[in-house]
Amino acid sequence: MRVSLVGVLRTFLLSLLAAAVPLAGGLEAQERQITGRVTAADTGQPLPGADVSVVGYPASGTVLSNAEGRFTIRIPAGEVRIRVNLFAYQATEVTVSPQQNVADVSLARDVFRLSDVVVTGQVTTIDRRSATTAIAYVSGEELGRVSSPTVLNSLAGRITGVNLQSNSGAPGGGIQMQVRGNSTILGGFDPLFVVDGVIYSNASIPSGRGFTNAAASATLEADPVNRIADLNPADIASIEVLKGAAASSIYGSKASNGVVVITTTRGQAGQARANITQRFGAFTPLRTLEERRWTVDEAVARYGEAARPFFDGNASPYFDQYDQVYGNRGLSHETLADVSGGTERTRYFVSGSWKRDEGIEFGTYAARQGLRLNVDQDLGGGLDLKVSSAFVRNANNRGWNNNCNNFGCHGYAMAYIPSFVDLERRNPDGSFPAPTVGVQSNPVQLTELGVNEEETLRFTGGLTLGWDAWATSTQRLRVVAGGGLDTFDQRNEVWTPNELFFERPQALPGEAVESGGRSLFYNWNVNAVHSYFADGWSSNTSAGIQYEDRRLNTFRIRTQNLLPGQRNVNQGTNITAVENLQEERTFALYAQEEIRLLSDRLLVQAGIRAERSSVNGDIDKFYIFPKASGSYRFPDLLGADSELKLRVAYGETGNQPIFGQKFTNLGTPQLGGRQGITVSTTSGAPDVEPERLKEWEAGVDGEMRNGRINWELTGFRRTTTNLLLSRTPAPSSGFTSQVFNGGEIQNQGVEVAVGYAPIQTASTTWTNRVTFTRYTSEVVDLAGLPAFFPAGSGFGNLGRTRIEEGKSITQIIGFGLGEDGTRDSQLRQLGNSAPDFRMGFSSDLFVGRFSLNAVMDWQQGGSVINLTKFLQDAAQTTADWGEPSWEERYQRNFLVGSIAPYIEDATFLKLREVGVNYELSPELVQAFRLGARSVRMGITGRNLLMFTEYSGLDPEVSNFGSLAIRGNLDIAPHPPTRSFFFNLAVGF
Amino acid sequence: MRNQHDTRAHRRAHGRTALLGAGLLLLGGCGDLEILNTNAPTVETLTGSPTREVLALAATGIFSGSFNDVGTEIQFYALYGREGYNLLGNDPRETGEQIRGPADPTGRNAAIWTGQYGAIRTINTYLEALPNATGLSTAEVRASQGFAKTLKAWHLHRLAVRTGEFGIPIDVDRPITADPAPFVSFSAAMEAASSLMNEAHADLLAGGGSFPFAMAPGYAGFGTPATFAQFNRALASKILVHRATFVGCQPCWEQAAAALGQSFVTDQGLPGSLATGVLYQFSSAAGEPANPVSEPLANQRLWVHPSIVTGAQSRPNGTPDLRLTTKVVDAGRTTSIEGLVGQFKPILYNPPGNPAAANPGAPIPWIGNEELLLLRAEVRWNTGNRQGAIDDLNRIREHAGGLAPAALTAGSSNDAFVTELLYNRLYSLMWAQGTRWIDARRYDRLNTIPVDRPGDTVFPSMIVPANECVARGLGAPCSPL
Repeated sequence: MRVSLVGVLRTFLLSLLAAAVPLAGGLEAQERQITGRVTAADTGQPLPGADVSVVGYPASGTVLSNAEGRFTIRIPAGEVRIRVNLFAYQATEVTVSPQQNVADVSLARDVFRLSDVVVTGQVTTIDRRSATTAIAYVSGEELGRVSSPTVLNSLAGRITGVNLQSNSGAPGGGIQMQVRGNSTILGGFDPLFVVDGVIYSNASIPSGRGFTNAAASATLEADPVNRIADLNPADIASIEVLKGAAASSIYGSKASNGVVVITTTRGQAGQARANITQRFGAFTPLRTLEERRWTVDEAVARYGEAARPFFDGNASPYFDQYDQVYGNRGLSHETLADVSGGTERTRYFVSGSWKRDEGIEFGTYAARQGLRLNVDQDLGGGLDLKVSSAFVRNANNRGWNNNCNNFGCHGYAMAYIPSFVDLERRNPDGSFPAPTVGVQSNPVQLTELGVNEEETLRFTGGLTLGWDAWATSTQRLRVVAGGGLDTFDQRNEVWTPNELFFERPQALPGEAVESGGRSLFYNWNVNAVHSYFADGWSSNTSAGIQYEDRRLNTFRIRTQNLLPGQRNVNQGTNITAVENLQEERTFALYAQEEIRLLSDRLLVQAGIRAERSSVNGDIDKFYIFPKASGSYRFPDLLGADSELKLRVAYGETGNQPIFGQKFTNLGTPQLGGRQGITVSTTSGAPDVEPERLKEWEAGVDGEMRNGRINWELTGFRRTTTNLLLSRTPAPSSGFTSQVFNGGEIQNQGVEVAVGYAPIQTASTTWTNRVTFTRYTSEVVDLAGLPAFFPAGSGFGNLGRTRIEEGKSITQIIGFGLGEDGTRDSQLRQLGNSAPDFRMGFSSDLFVGRFSLNAVMDWQQGGSVINLTKFLQDAAQTTADWGEPSWEERYQRNFLVGSIAPYIEDATFLKLREVGVNYELSPELVQAFRLGARSVRMGITGRNLLMFTEYSGLDPEVSNFGSLAIRGNLDIAPHPPTRSFFFNLAVGF
Repeated sequence: MRNQHDTRAHRRAHGRTALLGAGLLLLGGCGDLEILNTNAPTVETLTGSPTREVLALAATGIFSGSFNDVGTEIQFYALYGREGYNLLGNDPRETGEQIRGPADPTGRNAAIWTGQYGAIRTINTYLEALPNATGLSTAEVRASQGFAKTLKAWHLHRLAVRTGEFGIPIDVDRPITADPAPFVSFSAAMEAASSLMNEAHADLLAGGGSFPFAMAPGYAGFGTPATFAQFNRALASKILVHRATFVGCQPCWEQAAAALGQSFVTDQGLPGSLATGVLYQFSSAAGEPANPVSEPLANQRLWVHPSIVTGAQSRPNGTPDLRLTTKVVDAGRTTSIEGLVGQFKPILYNPPGNPAAANPGAPIPWIGNEELLLLRAEVRWNTGNRQGAIDDLNRIREHAGGLAPAALTAGSSNDAFVTELLYNRLYSLMWAQGTRWIDARRYDRLNTIPVDRPGDTVFPSMIVPANECVARGLGAPCSPL
């Protein structure tokens, strides 16, 4: 099978190429040349870099407007239509009569970016107006307005079909993106990220922090950054999220979690332009926790006589411990600079960035420095080359948060350290006094002495070679070969020296962990696209091959019982090392067809992809992923300059098994200096297959008043079968899990996006956008498995996610309370970590030189398990201790045994972004005599306000980090932050 | 396509380059999709016809499996039998659910199960591979079988004691896809452990002069098939005594007496010989199992129940039982959580003379002469040799506790004997195997275990884990019998 298919494809491609060469360049006789100028409709300024082409006449190719907006193009004799496309402007067509030799075109600004193009295949795109599927699209201009930890944070509230949730407020990122619900339990859950055609790792490699503070699940609870944080948001030109299977099927068995296609900014022909943006700002906590206030009698009753001295000279001592730990207000800064320009044949974009966010926890930060070079070179002969490259250094210290079991984490320890203890108190020699009440830990000491550093170096580079092999008046053949690599090296250093109070009572005090990972992804593809234009219809046929290799090598060296003052991993007595290598290779073939009929009104797309992968049980088997979709447009149905589009799509994608799921490993314990082998408790699945997602999607899109009102309404229903599941055999078998394929999950939902520009004049523009997303995910079939708890589901009876047939995949179960106040006899659903819906509002107002923009993000429903409060209640340090609310929780939980009082509503409304900017007048700019073209200054803020009934820190929380099924577990997380920046942007 | 000013010849040249490039990519990239697992050996190593060397590795794995749950048993059984408390306070379940209930079939009271059955799975795989092994003599196969069966019988016994009246599955050597093994009663499970122990004993006696693998540390003096057989008999006698008391197996007393006779029990060389026996030999070396209950005095985790301090008998000179003073120390501070108070720390596993530090390499006695003498006393009392029983108890009292002889006579009541026996078992075996809880269960004396707070409870056994219930289509908690 393998040989024959590849063989057929090779023959096909080679014959295609062979046929193309002699035919290439056949020119039509009757041609003439016209010139023209492209200008902005509102300002009259020339627009360089616009794509100018002749509708239905591929032989003309595409030319670019130059720095003065001028272009020259060869056109056939007779009347033709010229189409002009420019990023951020409405695509515009003008008719050129047979006598005309000059065609000037003015372009209107496209505030909703409806003319931008979205991908339909490996090398094919389509304008959003014609798209047959709902593709979430955000322009880089929107993303770059307000400084953000990662590019995903900037998407919150802006797109539909996606649930974005931060794992904590720690600096540097840590955010999970889920597209159209949970469609896997055990498989990979991350969307596939593709940056300029290069598959981009979004791995989360945890630091060793969970080991030093004895987290229950040391790797999951370490609050790692996911590596999308390495991408500089300012470099991005656009982000497309391929949500439905029909759209993402082009990425086959890695696409069931959605595909995020990121395109970075490229240079435009013309005079060199430079932009420098400088930001200064600060982070503050969005919320912290109050603690119980004590009287001396209460304190002595609880902690014994040791508590009495704390009240000497102060009858009611109260120290805001959260402020003592999270009180850092250091200056954060970000510098962005780019230069772009070039000629028609060579265009470049160079950018540099230098950023440092100061964390609110003392000692924490996130810093990133990056350099990008994108070059476009026309090689002549129909050959063009695009090169993208970026180097990034990303470093952070995310502090000491989340669950732990030795009080080596702040929130957890502070739950047990009463508020009359001053964590900042010092002995005369500067050391901290040993704790005498509460627990053996001082979080302030930990912020000063502990080390938790991460540094990542990353290179991402891609190259695309396009060749216009052949073009006639009705046909065109383009061959595109691309490839790229993405590699990073992440290093983490964690050190908890043995003088820390929580280390001293350990059996092996003092610990250092050196860990990290090295990732190398590379992929290449060769594609051929054939276009055919006829009267009233046109077609686009493409086919290609792809190869991908993804490797990740992680390691961890852990030392305990360190020598005093030493931090190297060879300076302790107990050194353990762990290494893990995983690699996945996938080879794929695809073909797809796109036909436009009825004067472009009807668009039909269909495609098929076959791929085989090293992670499947049968590495020679090709898995087939088909797709088909169509759209029909009704122009002017709702009045002049309106359009209504109906679309429907079906597609299939997959989710690959995870490396290692097909092997049954042996355990290798060590005893008496000898290595032994044992049968491991996990049984592999030698015949494992990818999960398969099938999806129907339909939508009604439209626009009125020339796009000033537009909407996108989508409904979808997807079924995932052949799930990667883990059977829990009776543990008496000696096995605790075995991977197999089976079962079914169903997701369905609706997405609505509405845009409205009530004002659009030369001096004032006001645009508004509302997004709405609602979906449900139900476990339809578990292939006979009983209900089970997935990894990171929670703790014992303290509220857990349970996977159960006929129930929502995100249900949270626990023992509830009966009518009579007694505990239920059986576990039942008490909550659901998935929200009822997400809604976003964004508004941009430009008045003259002023601009104001804001984004609100609303999550309705969902549940959080507030175990921080549970800990505080157990330690009797909760602010409402002794009050009826506390009594009620105490009665229901500690006496009756129900977790229900700690499962809270996760509804929130957050003001994600606000920006106020002022553009100086050209006269004033010139008065500075800096040679500057423009100067803009403003103030921006992120996460400025949060409205929620939730009693904990932030309903957007995940103790176990990014997971297939987030449990929304709140166990002493890093508090949420807000940030303010002053921005100065100068253009040259 | 940007501009077209080139000649056809140029295009051809470019075309050939592109074609060549595409061809190279095709050949170079569609490489091998066979990626091996380089992270660990896979199970195929151990099945089929493994070599002597592979089986020696597996033997180390089996030794290693015997360490599974040792620390958990000590800590949890200490809570259940109030040998002490866990007052670290980082998990409210330790002072809540674990001593108050209701027991959570997905939580801690469902522990000490997977580790035992995992060890049994390795032993079963090893036993299956032995007859097909290459490079082993018949005697070496028997010796290996005797070794593996001894440890398997002990795992079954630990599971049976853990779960008590709920019973346990024992016929677990079946494919992963087969129906789960049926539960058998407490008494049947213990009987199975006994008979497997006897099979193992027969194998060991036919096992020649040495094992075909290196012994784990902790077996000093028990490293040949013949001496390992004494260890086998020691464990067998303990199982038989448990059968006699837990499930009323009267013939077990005589069988226990016989087993003890073949074990290493001795009343010679006291007090030095009290420590003779097999140890869980932990290590402070990296990668080795470390003593799970050894911690510095400053640690807030493990505390000895005050009743152990107040209940200690006095020596003739007025000082307490030596077994208390060598194993427990006043921490010089108190801690309390939810009404439970800690003042005394266990120091059994700290470096001698330096309780402030931990000793991750401290061994935990598995079975030793001190315990065997106590078992012999129990057996003698129940097989008509009451004076012999009292003599054995007094040997322990004198040599381990520095105490005067017990006020027992051959005419004392059974109850008085049991009280004295259990006192000595507690002080000799505390914080090593959960003896207080297990003994109280054996003699229906759960009501003698102190309960410090209203609402707290003393569990009669641990429950069946939820996964074991659901694999049988039962809700959790369950009683599959």
